[in-house]
Amino acid sequence: MFEIALILLSAFMIASSIIAVWFKDLLASTIALAVMSLILSLYFYMLHAPDVAIAEAGVGACITTALLVIAIKNTERMEEVEE
Amino acid sequence: MTPVVRTIAALIFPFIIIFSFYVIMHGHLTPGGGFQGGAIGASAIVMLIVAYGARNVKKKAKEESLSIFESIGGLVFVIVGIIGFVAASSFLYNFLVGEPLFGTIPPFGSNPGILNSGGILPILNIAVGMKVIGGLASVVLVMALAGGDEE
Amino acid sequence: MRWVAFVVFAAFLLFAAYELHPFGEPDDSRMDDYIISNAQNETAANNAVTSVVFDYRGYDTLGEATVLFTAIAGALVVLRRVKK
Repeated sequence: MFEIALILLSAFMIASSIIAVWFKDLLASTIALAVMSLILSLYFYMLHAPDVAIAEAGVGACITTALLVIAIKNTERMEEVEE
Repeated sequence: MTPVVRTIAALIFPFIIIFSFYVIMHGHLTPGGGFQGGAIGASAIVMLIVAYGARNVKKKAKEESLSIFESIGGLVFVIVGIIGFVAASSFLYNFLVGEPLFGTIPPFGSNPGILNSGGILPILNIAVGMKVIGGLASVVLVMALAGGDEE
Repeated sequence: MRWVAFVVFAAFLLFAAYELHPFGEPDDSRMDDYIISNAQNETAANNAVTSVVFDYRGYDTLGEATVLFTAIAGALVVLRRVKK
């Protein structure tokens, strides 16, 4: 049961990371990155590391997202298509 | 942002700050510590910046005062370490064990814990917490201010 | 070229994952046993993780605080608006 949950969480993490790279809309990409960070904090909690889980949830899911959203707001929202 | 977001942010802000102080103060008893509690407190200030705009937050907390707050945290850390060097054998020595302030030694094994214990750990936790709150909040505030007009 | 780099990197990661220990069974646990049995007496704190981070390995926390301070000082220097 434990291993199945870990494998599922890993699959979700990889999927959201691929989505974050793949999207052209940078705001949606940032939200996908926040989802990845949140799942990573859940993963740390299941591996008996609550300290790292709290730090990851605070820094990764909140402050990084806010910084990226502020940066996107002051620049371009859509990624430029090559060629 | 809309009035709904502003009202909810203003309502929920004190609770997040109190939870951050709880995580910092109980760092030697429960999971968490200075960095984690500081990240939670900084995220509360970041929530205010996102909801109200950086100019309105700057009226209450300038980035100079946040930076001074952070520097005081770092200074307290180093001063506690040097006191350990002078009063006992080595740098950052835990010289408060056995003293009346923060010095109660807990019984062995798993127990609920005593708040008045931990030696220099609560002081260092508070120092690192001040450092992280001031640092992360001032970085986000400066970055939001540099971007031009908000709201 | 890109695919060669991808395959080499993925093979390296898969090999590293194959060589992992099973969960909760470290090779050498003398340090862990010492800290678990002595941390409460030596640092008077219940949380062994905090006692390692701030007491046994206090230098590393000081270095981490220095890294944070330097990063924030650099960000403030670059981004702060100077009043004219």
